Amino acid sequence: MENEVINLEEFGLSDEELFSHYDNSNYESEKVTAPRYSYWKSVFRVFFKKKINIIILLLLGVVIVFAYLYPAISGYSASPEDMYNINAQKLDTWHLSPSQAIDKFGFSLSWILGSGDHGQSTFDSLWYGSSISISLALACAAINLVIGIIIGAIWGFSKKVDLVMTEVYNIIGNIPYTLIVSVLVLILTASFWTMVFAMTITGWLGIAYFIRTQVIVIRDREYNLASRCLGTPMFRLTMRNVLPFMTSVIVTLAATEIPSYISSEVFLSYIGLGISDMTLGRIIQQTQSFMAVPEWGFEYWSPIIISAVITIILYVVGQNLGDASDPKTHM
Amino acid sequence: MGKYLLKRIIHGLLSVIIVVAIVMILVYTAIDKENIFRQDPLIQKKNSNEKIVYKYQCWEDYGYLDYVPYADWLSEIARAGEIDEPTRAAAVSFGRTAEKDSAIVTEYIAKFTEVYEAKGYTIVRLNADTQSATSTTLKKGGQQRLFAYKNTPLPVRIWNYFKGVISVDNIHYAKGDVGQRKLTFTMNDPAYGGDKFSPAIIGNGTKYKYLLYFDNKFPFIHQNLITINLGLSYSINKGVDVWTTMVQPQGSNVMEETLYPTGFVESSSNDLHTARYAEGSLKTGGGFAQTRFNDDYTVVGTTKSGMSKMGYSFVIGVISVIISYLVGIPLGIVMSRNQNKLFDKIGTIYIVFIIAVPSLAYIFMFRAIGMQFGWPTTFSTDPAAGYKVYLLPIISLALPSIGGLMKWTRRYMIDQKNSDYVKFARSGGLSEGEIFRGHILKNAMIYIVHGIPGSILATLVGAIITERVYTVPGTGGMLVNAITAYDNAAIVGLAMFYALLSVASLILGDILMAMVDPRISFSSKGR
Repeated sequence: MENEVINLEEFGLSDEELFSHYDNSNYESEKVTAPRYSYWKSVFRVFFKKKINIIILLLLGVVIVFAYLYPAISGYSASPEDMYNINAQKLDTWHLSPSQAIDKFGFSLSWILGSGDHGQSTFDSLWYGSSISISLALACAAINLVIGIIIGAIWGFSKKVDLVMTEVYNIIGNIPYTLIVSVLVLILTASFWTMVFAMTITGWLGIAYFIRTQVIVIRDREYNLASRCLGTPMFRLTMRNVLPFMTSVIVTLAATEIPSYISSEVFLSYIGLGISDMTLGRIIQQTQSFMAVPEWGFEYWSPIIISAVITIILYVVGQNLGDASDPKTHM
Repeated sequence: MGKYLLKRIIHGLLSVIIVVAIVMILVYTAIDKENIFRQDPLIQKKNSNEKIVYKYQCWEDYGYLDYVPYADWLSEIARAGEIDEPTRAAAVSFGRTAEKDSAIVTEYIAKFTEVYEAKGYTIVRLNADTQSATSTTLKKGGQQRLFAYKNTPLPVRIWNYFKGVISVDNIHYAKGDVGQRKLTFTMNDPAYGGDKFSPAIIGNGTKYKYLLYFDNKFPFIHQNLITINLGLSYSINKGVDVWTTMVQPQGSNVMEETLYPTGFVESSSNDLHTARYAEGSLKTGGGFAQTRFNDDYTVVGTTKSGMSKMGYSFVIGVISVIISYLVGIPLGIVMSRNQNKLFDKIGTIYIVFIIAVPSLAYIFMFRAIGMQFGWPTTFSTDPAAGYKVYLLPIISLALPSIGGLMKWTRRYMIDQKNSDYVKFARSGGLSEGEIFRGHILKNAMIYIVHGIPGSILATLVGAIITERVYTVPGTGGMLVNAITAYDNAAIVGLAMFYALLSVASLILGDILMAMVDPRISFSSKGR
């Protein structure tokens, strides 16, 4: 349609008479309009509104690329034992500082942290170890969260289950965690999946208890009462009414869980109960004696700092995602 | 309240029993009993049949099985009067192989087999181990052996364990002839010469000579009447109970002028108050024992300069708990009062650091920082080392818990700040300061108070990483050491100790919370 400029003066009419009549339409009056709202879209909108989150996410990307893609490029993952022995005979390649290593081998990413106690590249071995540690943490967190949330939801809803599970929680919770993990590692062989099994066999219990408490708080809210009065089955009530309400709690929980498994792994390796793979914890355990030698400090501080950086990044991403997934922040 | 508490305590003890039973099932069925010898230096020196017998003896000592050598059975029936001494002497020397047995030996071995097989025992006969098939010379330790054994079923082990946890000394303990069995109460302890006023209870026929006594060491009054047995250690402190390992003093011996019961005086570190009964020890001890003692109470402990494992863990732990409460709570309060301002943000960064970074990593960072100040990084039990050796362990323990306390205090304070009663108080015209002190703080502290008994009792368990990094001789490393050395009895004992502490801290926390908050009442819990 053309936009014609009409000069109102031409008509010589008063202002009131310029309005035209609009027919009352039943259809239009029934229409309810509200801003379009999509939960996950809002989560990411809020998340990316903070500039710091973009930076942290980029850092997380860097960590993932280095942990999962870099070992393939550097070739370290092929066989860590071979890599460990590649320079084993050449004593002059052992314990080099970054500058010495670069002088000796020429500049490459592998040597920016110097070489280790058998001439292996500290940088390469660190990322290889990180990939195992991160995988371990992710596997444990995934298993524990899934089992914990399902059992926690049932635990919170059923009063009968509550009686039994609270007793189980009080009893199992008293068994030292170190004991369970180490006895299982001793009985089974100290492999990756043994460790996952050991860390998840009772690890879900704490999460389930946390979820149970949350469910009990939400369970008796008015909207759930109304839903129950209308005949909603318990399962549907849990899946549709309660769990979505807890998304932000669960994301925040995951944010603390994932770094905590990395910490546990480092701790267990340090006290000599870790797995046989070269994880971050194993590297720290093996290099701790080098701390006393001033020139070798690099080999020791690198894994500690890398593990700290990885856990902080994972934690901050999780926390901020948890904040963003709380619908109260979406307004 | 009393009834409720009693119920809680019984409930708690029940849960401890179940925990220990689970741990025992885990440890005794899953870990092969051969493993306990992994770090045993003695077994390396044993060969052939002697080695096998040694293993059975050890397993008996550590409750795995009941072991009866043939010779012991013969002595037993001889004592009971069933056979006379010449018969016993003739029957006891069984041959190198079954074919070489004399008629009387064959008869008694058959009887032995019959008696013990009826009781469900397995009879083991180890033929003499000779140098070669033709040689008659025995290998070292290759003597022929004959014994019966029966594995102790797990329920029996569990029952025996709990039966023996607390033992009360009595005058019928000593097996040998000790003269008149009695308890004596004296106002003047003979260990101090008999003139000084120092009350003591002395037993004869008991396990310990001094059942109650005073000395100059904290807590000044001591007792030996009730002993706690958590489990006999095999590797970490061989033959000593886990509880004793935790509470016995460490360090170098302290020499003191010691007056022995015979009147003999010498400079020695022996602590006569710990005198324990050992049958026939006065006779076997020879002149050395006879110049000093006049009865069989000759096994004495020594006075040490240092504290016990638990003592070090407790001192370091409690000081750091006090510091962390004194620092963490005020910081948390300041953070919540300045919500979203600079101080809050700095505090949050610190909290994130403590939560996210592996504890091992930041303890090493604290250590490196402490080294820059020239603080000692290795602990020493020597009192001459001074207070400085305590600095870094205490700081390393306090800094993380300060982070935790800051986080929770802030959280509770902010939750309270947004609650309706605070809005009401504000609308009622109270100043922000009054609201903070009078309402928010009081209500937020209820949750904080709940954790205090737990954090104090947890210090008894020790801190694994901190103690290892600074080489503190505390209780922290015991569980890990026991696990890596397959010291199964010690694992069970420690699990029991940990479970008791955790049950106790929950109950104490609830009591403390009820004391702080008058709204909480245990008697009306029957909802």
